[in-house]
Amino acid sequence: MAAELISGNEACARGAIAAGLTFFAGYPISPSSEIAEALARLLPANQGVFIQMEDEMSSLGAVLGASLGGAKAMTATSGPGFTLMQEHLGYAGLAEIPCVVVDVMRVGPSTGVPTAPSQGDVMQARWGSHGDRATVALVPASVPEIYQMTITAFNIAERLRTPVVLLYDEVLAHMRERVELQPPAESALWERPRASAEPGPRFQPYAANRELTAQLPNFGEGYHFHVTGLMHDERGYPTTDPETVRRLMARLDGKVEPVPGWVPPERYRLDDADWVFVAYGITARVAREAVDRLRESGVAAGLYRPRVLWPVAPGQLSEQLGRARTVVVAEMNQGQWADVVARYRPATVRVLSQGKLGGEPFTTEELLGLAQELTAKGATVL
Amino acid sequence: MWKQEIRLAGSGGQGLGLAAMVLAEAALANRLYVTTLQSYGPEARGGASRSDVTISDQDIANPWFSDPSLLLALSQQAWAKFGSRLANGGQAIVDLDLVGESDRPAVFALPLVRIAQTELREKLAANMIALGALGVLLGRIPLDILQASAAQKAPKGFSRINQEAVARGWQLMAEAKGGVTRGRGVGGA
Repeated sequence: MAAELISGNEACARGAIAAGLTFFAGYPISPSSEIAEALARLLPANQGVFIQMEDEMSSLGAVLGASLGGAKAMTATSGPGFTLMQEHLGYAGLAEIPCVVVDVMRVGPSTGVPTAPSQGDVMQARWGSHGDRATVALVPASVPEIYQMTITAFNIAERLRTPVVLLYDEVLAHMRERVELQPPAESALWERPRASAEPGPRFQPYAANRELTAQLPNFGEGYHFHVTGLMHDERGYPTTDPETVRRLMARLDGKVEPVPGWVPPERYRLDDADWVFVAYGITARVAREAVDRLRESGVAAGLYRPRVLWPVAPGQLSEQLGRARTVVVAEMNQGQWADVVARYRPATVRVLSQGKLGGEPFTTEELLGLAQELTAKGATVL
Repeated sequence: MWKQEIRLAGSGGQGLGLAAMVLAEAALANRLYVTTLQSYGPEARGGASRSDVTISDQDIANPWFSDPSLLLALSQQAWAKFGSRLANGGQAIVDLDLVGESDRPAVFALPLVRIAQTELREKLAANMIALGALGVLLGRIPLDILQASAAQKAPKGFSRINQEAVARGWQLMAEAKGGVTRGRGVGGA
């Protein structure tokens, strides 16, 4: 494979094609528009369908319809559009419709700062749609990783029949970086589970397999079944029975539990670190440089970079941070994931939230200054 | 580790985004690590323009920087904004006619736009002249690789003039470096 210089958004589009994308519906919005632009060119050339819809609600609606028909489908947007998609995201989760939703984060709320970078949609990816629900959200930190993780997003979406959100910021979307793209082998692409029973009056589309995943056939394969956003039984028909509802919710939670194990975190100089940055996306790259600089000055610094923000694996998090004394969670928001780290940290670990707003990434100097300031205050032993 | 954080700043329409791409592709062709970040939004469509390029001989952890080690300023506004933010030991190239008050060490004031107009008869080639000059300060990418990249990325019909412009800028900076540290005054060449 030859080395190329491509942007994060282009890597996303090409990753989607490599994963077998056959349907994209979207509505352009900065800083995600280049994904749609690239796919408008790539999809028709790869026997796929590209539709520009009238808005973001209809975009995800079309994606869900295509997915029920058997397509590998996705959409891409930014915060304002992601807000409009929340209704359908909840529906896709409950009805178990595979899809990938890319949210290229810009400063919010509302139309905010178009189009400065932010990491402000972390909690929206978790709880944006009403009701309790299981969620999968992945966070890449480089252009090559956006390519790989777009493929992973499709794999998880298909295998677990769930929406998967790919979250990255404007800097990663537009930065160009050296990549050597390696299309995945056929065997590395996961497919959605197939219906194991024959069509007929006793067919149960929502009877789960061993991975707690429903086995809906695609529309048009000869089965007669019902898909709904109401709580449903294994036949797919509405129910208000509390026990059935509880069982369904537990299954949906349980099926996404393996995801953090499939996409493990990056541990950078973490083994002997007692000063640890927790950071993801573009912020993690700044933190990695800060770690190197702190190490040069004799501080045992390290970086824990989650690649899955949702679901959280509490055991994984507390185990990885167990040796640290001070953990600084740096993110371009008001501390959305810091709350998660604080919740699951081992009792001996002190967690500090360092948010940054305003549409600029952290600088290395800012993180180093923070370390010095905290040291001066005696926040940790350095 | 060798690393340069390069900022190309000026006005929208001066072709600085393209210059950043040409530089980045040349770095890639010379087996260096490279990242680019471009100003985005209204400023890319007129007004202030800014493109950041990081080039290193090792993997680049952080593509984002506030203080460039190499600055190109093609407008007074760009110089006012970034001239004071040059990193320690950093160097700058400014346009002799478009930027005033740049008379200080490690700042090379070169008649980039004037030469583009008078010698190459193409004002828009100033970006490639500037790139050639930058190449000398960078010291890691040979002239022929820069020229090849400039030709490859050129808009239709600009391939030859781009190559000439890069070579002219290279020569201009080589002369400036050979003479006084402050480049002001070498322009009439």
